[in-house]
Amino acid sequence: MAVHDDVNGSTEKSNSGMDELLTFNAENMQNNMKVIYYSRTFLSIISGAIAGILGFTGLMGFIFYFLVMAITSVALAAKASFSIHSYFNSWNCIIFDGFLGGLMSFVLFWTFAYDIVHIF
Amino acid sequence: MAEDLVLDTAIRDWVLIPLSVVMVLIGVLRYFVSKLMKGSSQVPDPKIVKEGQVIIRARNLRAGANYIPAKSFRARKAYYSNEENGLLHVPKGQAQNPQAQMFSDPNMAMDMMKKNLSMIIPQTLTFAWVNFFFSGFVAAKIPFPLTQRFRAMLQNGIDLSTVDVSYVSSRSWYFLNLFGLRGLFSLILGEENATDDTQRMMQMSGFGMDPSKTLGAEKDGLDIVQHEWALPKFEQRAEAVLRKLVK
Repeated sequence: MAVHDDVNGSTEKSNSGMDELLTFNAENMQNNMKVIYYSRTFLSIISGAIAGILGFTGLMGFIFYFLVMAITSVALAAKASFSIHSYFNSWNCIIFDGFLGGLMSFVLFWTFAYDIVHIF
Repeated sequence: MAEDLVLDTAIRDWVLIPLSVVMVLIGVLRYFVSKLMKGSSQVPDPKIVKEGQVIIRARNLRAGANYIPAKSFRARKAYYSNEENGLLHVPKGQAQNPQAQMFSDPNMAMDMMKKNLSMIIPQTLTFAWVNFFFSGFVAAKIPFPLTQRFRAMLQNGIDLSTVDVSYVSSRSWYFLNLFGLRGLFSLILGEENATDDTQRMMQMSGFGMDPSKTLGAEKDGLDIVQHEWALPKFEQRAEAVLRKLVK
């Protein structure tokens, strides 16, 4: 998770938490979303390679992916010190954003690593 | 049956790895070529820039409406959406036909074509290359089982119905790469590339769009803003925060 935290380190302390009145800086919000996207993509590629090298097949690999993504969500939430609403719109963006986009990369790198290590 | 298939290591060394590397490199090359092409002098029409700026200003007003007193907000709103000479008000009949506008500016069409070509040409070439050299054999195996429906997708170019579906032909490996590498590109080339395609689409439709329509939409948006000055409440907020601090 260290690398991931590095990626996330660029999150700006942006949206001071004003509860009643919605005040936010759109650019900072976008930056936060971008950070989530990057960390997810990065992790999906890395986890794909790991799954392939370890030789996961079938459901095992997908469970691994879900596990990694769940850990990512928790780590992102921890990075935002669990006050999601001062950084993001809702919980949804932390949990689901970039999930399916990462899946494609995951499958590709999983297949690639698996083939190179185990098939031939 | 499926497990019996033995793939030559030469396939890995000469097909699987080179194909993936080439796909990555071509993606990088495409990025720089399209950047080069975009860099060529492009002087935007001052009128369009002006309209865009007006829209941005109106949007800012809408976003920050609650931070100014009602009177100031009303004055600014009148400045933008007044029926006679408001900035967002477009007199009828003056709106340009977007199609005509596009034809009057050959640069725009040229630009669009360049952008399109920089996407299509490399893809076609790579596909032809893969087709020519690597067609007709199994190149990879995906590590999870799939149903028969995926056969057409994954074994493109192999006409054997007895091979297990999880084996992938080289042509389909190319397609897998095409979709799966998008994430990698966004990491190594920055976010510009990730949003590139969609952004292009937006730009394309944006060029063809009637600027008076966006102005009108912004005007409507401004008209329906419910103004509620936030600052009176802020004093109470500040009081609460300070009290908490003092405690």
